[in-house]
Amino acid sequence: MASNTGLASLPHRTVSSIRAGAHSATTPGPPQTPARPISSTFGSPSGSSRVDDDPIVIELGSRKLRLGFAGDAAPKRIVAISPEQQRRTGDFRVWEPDFSSQWRSRASGKPWGADHELWQLDVRGQDLGVVEDKLERELRDALFKYLLVDSRPRKVTLVLPPTLPIPLLSSTLNTLFHRFQSPTISLLSSPVMAAFAAGTRSALVIDLGWHETTVTAVYEYHEVQSWRTVRAGKLLMEETYELLLQAVRGYATMERTEQTEDRLLDESLSFEECEEVATRMLWCKKAARQPHRKTSEEGLATVHEHEEEGEEIPPTEDHSPMAITLNSCKPPKTVEIPFSQLAEPCEAAFFETRLSLSSFDDHELPVHHLVYRALLQLPLDVRAICMSRIIFTGGCSHIFGLRSRIFDEVSIQVEDQGWDPVRGKGSEQCKTNLKLHRDSSRQATKNGSVPVVIQPDMTNGNGEATEPQVKAADAPQEVDHVENLIRKEQNYKPQVQGFLRAIDTLGPWCGGSLATQMKIPALATIDREIWLQQGVNGASRPSEVDIKMGQRQSMGPSGLMRGQAAQPNNWTLGVWGTMF
Amino acid sequence: MASFTPYTYIQCPCHDSTSQSRTADDAPPPTTTLPELSENDDDHAFDPRAHRSTFSLYPLEHLLYCDVCHQIRCPRCVTEELVTIYCPNCLFEVGTSSLKTEGNRLTSDYLHLNKSLTAANRTLTLDAHVAVSNARYVSAPWPSKLSKPPPDPTLLSADSATPIPPGPWVLTCSYCHWNSSEIGVKFDKPQGIFGQLQKLRYGEDQSKHVVSGDTSPTKTDSVPETNKARFAALKSFYGSQTVGANPGAGLSGLGDYGLNSPGALTRIMSIYSGNINGLKPKTKSSVMREADSPNEGFQLSDLDEGAAISQLRRDGWDGTVTGDQAKTQVEEGAQFADQLWPIPYLLRAKRSKRCPVCRHIISKPESKVSNTRWRIRLIANNSIPSISIKPLNPPPGSGLLKPLQPAHFLLTFKNPLFDDVKVTLATPATTPGRFASRVTVLCPEFQIDANPDNDMYLDDVLKDGEKERQRRRGDEGIHQAEAGKIWERGRNWVSIIVEVIPSSLRIEPPPAILVKDGDPEPDLSPLREDEDVLEIPMFVRLEWESEASHDQVGAATSREKDAKEKRELAYWCAIGIGRISQE
Ligand SMILES: [Zn+2]
Ligand SMILES: [Zn+2]
Ligand SMILES: [Zn+2]
Ligand SMILES: [Zn+2]
Repeated sequence: MASNTGLASLPHRTVSSIRAGAHSATTPGPPQTPARPISSTFGSPSGSSRVDDDPIVIELGSRKLRLGFAGDAAPKRIVAISPEQQRRTGDFRVWEPDFSSQWRSRASGKPWGADHELWQLDVRGQDLGVVEDKLERELRDALFKYLLVDSRPRKVTLVLPPTLPIPLLSSTLNTLFHRFQSPTISLLSSPVMAAFAAGTRSALVIDLGWHETTVTAVYEYHEVQSWRTVRAGKLLMEETYELLLQAVRGYATMERTEQTEDRLLDESLSFEECEEVATRMLWCKKAARQPHRKTSEEGLATVHEHEEEGEEIPPTEDHSPMAITLNSCKPPKTVEIPFSQLAEPCEAAFFETRLSLSSFDDHELPVHHLVYRALLQLPLDVRAICMSRIIFTGGCSHIFGLRSRIFDEVSIQVEDQGWDPVRGKGSEQCKTNLKLHRDSSRQATKNGSVPVVIQPDMTNGNGEATEPQVKAADAPQEVDHVENLIRKEQNYKPQVQGFLRAIDTLGPWCGGSLATQMKIPALATIDREIWLQQGVNGASRPSEVDIKMGQRQSMGPSGLMRGQAAQPNNWTLGVWGTMF
Repeated sequence: MASFTPYTYIQCPCHDSTSQSRTADDAPPPTTTLPELSENDDDHAFDPRAHRSTFSLYPLEHLLYCDVCHQIRCPRCVTEELVTIYCPNCLFEVGTSSLKTEGNRLTSDYLHLNKSLTAANRTLTLDAHVAVSNARYVSAPWPSKLSKPPPDPTLLSADSATPIPPGPWVLTCSYCHWNSSEIGVKFDKPQGIFGQLQKLRYGEDQSKHVVSGDTSPTKTDSVPETNKARFAALKSFYGSQTVGANPGAGLSGLGDYGLNSPGALTRIMSIYSGNINGLKPKTKSSVMREADSPNEGFQLSDLDEGAAISQLRRDGWDGTVTGDQAKTQVEEGAQFADQLWPIPYLLRAKRSKRCPVCRHIISKPESKVSNTRWRIRLIANNSIPSISIKPLNPPPGSGLLKPLQPAHFLLTFKNPLFDDVKVTLATPATTPGRFASRVTVLCPEFQIDANPDNDMYLDDVLKDGEKERQRRRGDEGIHQAEAGKIWERGRNWVSIIVEVIPSSLRIEPPPAILVKDGDPEPDLSPLREDEDVLEIPMFVRLEWESEASHDQVGAATSREKDAKEKRELAYWCAIGIGRISQE
């Protein structure tokens, strides 16, 4: 987690000093100086103009990049960061037959799976130069081989996770401006784009990502707030590793491996193989009970999962062995794992229902608790809208059953506890039929583990509006004469709100593609010239600018900086600027 | 492990130029003054094993050279232009304009196939430009051929003159004999394969969803099922909302729903700007609503994945899509083997390359796809000396270097230039990294004579001159493993000796007596990939005088108004000498 402490040492420093801090061998120097005076007048070869005006839309994640042209329905290239791309040019050993069996020497001395990540969210000790190099190579490969573009400068739209630390954003911008000469880069928020690509203006976006799961409330195209937990893909992989290791050992010992070196033993499995198993074989159990609303619809208050296809054994009780051939351990081995066991990594990684809520730190809250807390902290009207627009995105959302499990768990909590942050009315009624761990979890809530907002204070002591999240919650909904007017309009349809509902999105990349094509102003747009002159230091915090402009964090007019180039201080990094 | 081929990697001087202030076009590289390479000062030392070095090291053959700027150019520091885009399977040339409509894969292959039919009149003319990635054979997309399902080779090998037999057609893989009828894919005609595939996959003609800019009711009636169709529906929905919201700004412009003026949606998006508390929609915005029906691109999530879990149980490991298969699919999201689809070939491009500084073309291929030659290709091989490495006395047995035992290697520098070159070498006394081997270059400064190959007529003259010069230098006596002396000299090459004392590869904590307070924790992790390779970082500086070129950009280096101009080029390289034995 890129906590404030991690960033505290970095604000208001030049990129070069960030780099120097990260890696002393890197020669520090003013990043503002362009590599070479490359003029923007690149010769245009006659005729060979591929969509000259279509900006390139890039969605950045820790594990994957999505690239394509604005206006396309799908990215042209999805890059999975892999160690193969981090070898020297001309090193063709990847193609040798025994390459994969020699994974131990490649994995040695690095954090587990580090070669599969573009970056860590904790920027401390991270060589940002390496991040830039990795990114550059992947972008070059994707742009030239898959998008078939030439080197002419192109506008770029970046679709970014809300929690991206500034140094990483800065590295990304450096790479695009210096190495690809983009004239302008627009920044869009990935949860907002997820909502946009679902056809809605508000949503609660649950991004089941790699380093962390983020829950972001989007209201009228604004990121209201983000909450996060480490219960995400990486943790799931750890659990998968343990599951497989135990299977290889024949369930002899339950010891867990803590050290990276311990993962290089003969019986150890490679990250690549764990991930292969995780993406192919894992599934997720249903909630211990179905939420009432659902069951009442079906007419039957089923207690445990005796559902749909009656004859079939419920998956949780299916212990039939699933044969999986593992090649990365020495010697290769075919293990047989009971089908029911393949649901365990998800339990441990995302839910951990065996432990009481009070035993979790804020950054490791189980996903369903995090979602519930997020909703709880939202103002009443925002919550009502967002809860009916729950969107799942991120790599882990493809695990069978995971989305419905989270949805059901949240539904159950809402049923049991209502929306009272201290103690729900509903909780009184349900007390009797509650399970023990639920009881204790409610206890924890009562004991004042008041939900903590992870997103840093947006205004930083400017005295202005540190919007409390719950203030409007008790404001009664008043009848609005404007609304009556609206009703008369033909186009009007009442907004769906007030109950939990999951909706489907085409994904943040598609949202970015659509938004860019429709020329919707981005959260922030940065001009190359200004970046080269000023670097990340030149960016004002959005709050400063916005207060001057009388509006906050608006996705809106004037793109926050373009057209204001005369006042070079008035440009921002959008919401990412608040990460300082 | 036993076989090891010595190698040389060159670090392009453009590396990390973002953090080095270099402004003038052909200013000498940042390291004109030799860095002090003592053991104590490793600030500037180049570590070829550092993670970043991976991205800036290239074999000599991968480098180009701008002969105007006199600088090495690597793939990262050239600008590229498209010359020809083609299908690598059948060499069909694709117009760059059709890329916009077809994307990076050949999709409408109707024309394409017909062309193939007439161009090559033998068996494989019905190449469908579709590679098949099936459940069992994944590693490489084997080219597959379109053939009639019953084994009827005569028909297939018939001339193009023979009328095309009626269908059905299937895709077959000549490598594994898989054919697409296994996944129920058959074609009525051997043309328009991609279109037919789409139809088979989605059951209807998808093109009608893709039509953009049209919000007529007939289109919105159909429920989009593919992402592409949903995308179009969403786009059309947003378009209609914008029009409704502001009829004035509506369709005044052409295309793009009149959104050429960024004002329209800007306003909509910003209507709710400001405080989220007590937020009330304003009248103007209210007409813009959210999508709420499938034909507007809206879709509820189907959270019930019970069927998928059942399939996972039933089909097991082999029924799921491998990571490699998933990566090669065009569309994201296949999880079971039966969701895999044949994939069209990825198009490729021929490119010309320019020096980004002086904008001269330094590499230009023949534009015809079938012609693999180059019109212009300034490879670095022709401009900077190559370095070859061999052991002075080939080590017996394994060929591995023995730890702590001195070994001598011959480095031969060959000069491709038509001018004499002065070479200055510098290496750190010990190699960087966990295992510090000692390195001594016996003769770090020497001159290599010009490459005479250009002019046979002058050959004899030069030869005489060469001998004369050698005599003058007094290094005619060859084969001396002595400091300051070269080992051997040829017409345009020089061999020198490097002595190495390989480090032991034992991983153990340093003796306690040497550990100071505040020292970083010793790295005791197991041997990493190639950490046993003795790799010498070597800084090479070349100085020579050559004909002044008149079209030179900013020839600042010329001191005298002589015809000769002094030139200088310096770079790091990594020289892989051999593997150290792990005994
Ligand atoms: Zn370069
Ligand atoms: Zn072809
Ligand atoms: Zn095959
Ligand atoms: Zn040049």
